[in-house]
Amino acid sequence: MRFTRTIRRITMLLAAAALLLGVPAAVAAHASAAATGTGWIRLAHFSPNTPAVDVYLYSFGNSNAEIVLHHVTYGTVSPYESVSVGDYSVAMRSAGASATSQPVLSTSLTVKADRAYTVAGMGPESGLRLVVLDDQLTPPSGKSLVRVVQASLKQQAVKFTCSCGGTLASKASLGSVTSYAPIPPGTWTMAAIGSTAKTSLPVSLVAGTVHTEVVLDGSNGLEILNLEDAAGAGLPPAGGVTTGFGGTAGHGPGSPLPWAALIAAGSLLAAGGGLRLRRHGLGRQLRSGV
Amino acid sequence: MSFRRPAAIIFAAGLVVIVAGTVGLLLTRHSTPAMRPVAAGVGALPAPTGPIVAPPQSAAPRPVAAPVSLTIPLIGVTTRLIKLGLTSDGSLQVPPTTDTAVAGWYTGSPRPGATGSAIIVGHIDSVNGPGVFFRLSELRKGDQVYVRRADGTFVKFLVTTVQQYLKDQFPTQAVYGPTPDAELRLITCGGAFDSVTRHYLSNIVVYATEAS
Repeated sequence: MRFTRTIRRITMLLAAAALLLGVPAAVAAHASAAATGTGWIRLAHFSPNTPAVDVYLYSFGNSNAEIVLHHVTYGTVSPYESVSVGDYSVAMRSAGASATSQPVLSTSLTVKADRAYTVAGMGPESGLRLVVLDDQLTPPSGKSLVRVVQASLKQQAVKFTCSCGGTLASKASLGSVTSYAPIPPGTWTMAAIGSTAKTSLPVSLVAGTVHTEVVLDGSNGLEILNLEDAAGAGLPPAGGVTTGFGGTAGHGPGSPLPWAALIAAGSLLAAGGGLRLRRHGLGRQLRSGV
Repeated sequence: MSFRRPAAIIFAAGLVVIVAGTVGLLLTRHSTPAMRPVAAGVGALPAPTGPIVAPPQSAAPRPVAAPVSLTIPLIGVTTRLIKLGLTSDGSLQVPPTTDTAVAGWYTGSPRPGATGSAIIVGHIDSVNGPGVFFRLSELRKGDQVYVRRADGTFVKFLVTTVQQYLKDQFPTQAVYGPTPDAELRLITCGGAFDSVTRHYLSNIVVYATEAS
């Protein structure tokens, strides 16, 4: 009876200990804010008869230019620059003109997070204007996106075709920009056809990329400038990665249960031995006493 | 007499077991803290030397060579890059468990230096100790990352931000999505370690863009 009670007590003690010492579930880590608050701007010169220019990018209300590109000639496109979200102005000055001189042309734009923009000088010099283009970053799954900018002055109406089987522009005039068209990946022949000149260019389109094809007046006829506006993983992975096995992670105290069980077993053993000792000792005393 | 000795031995053995159990209990009552990286800058490597090739200002896309090694001077990382694909469930492959000292480049992502986000993954630790990206979370804005390519050229990236995300709230689009410039994502594990599933609950993502 007493043993049963002892065992029950030990069991209850063990259960309580397990509850008290049990390692609480790992605490969820705090995810930090994802927004980085940046977008991208690139600057381009697509006006055929406009001489070289200096292009300035100002953050709104700041007279110190954030970016200055010197001596930008026709057909030149800058790489994309990462900028903080907010309002900007772009000013064009003749190449070499003082940074404080009156710009030939200026425009403003608002940069939103994770969006990209092309600010381009377009049209003939007599009607030069700065155009802000919204650039796409994400094509439909498994496709590429292509648009056409017509920047030829010599060819007034340009047809633009793709050997993938489509006409991207039919009678594009100087300074016109098509919307993006989805095109399957592959190496395609892009052709620009004017009334007195034409040219073609093989273009490799990888799934997940966005392109702009610019039709330019070359030194001899037409030229096509193939720009990559954006690229991503053709097949983006799903979710995060499993890159750790805990060898440097902290861990809580070890479980007390095996040790408690050992103590309990020891107690039983000692109690059993002790009882036998007492019983034998008592019997001998009784016998010798009589 | 003949009964007494075994009884005494049993009693003594019981006491020994009790003492052993108590000692064991006391010795395992403390918890082990997580291993922490040493201070930033300790063990820093010199920047690699070689031609650094950035795209020219006017830019038709130009093919770049495949990446072969990665150097992050500040945190003492220099490793070759293995090639990684996707697993059958569509998630990113990781370097083998037997080689946590190496990082890998996801071949489905752009090559480092080409337009888009190149994705490089490494382990924070093995079951025994630190892995190649153990100190990744120490990186801060402006820190340098170099990737050497098969043609011997380097591309240099500057860290823009370091983020920690719970794996069940992983921002796939921000990390793997398209970009108009040449960027790099370095990914490893972090946050709390779930000792039941034997996995970390979070990912650390370092965002970097090509130095212009």
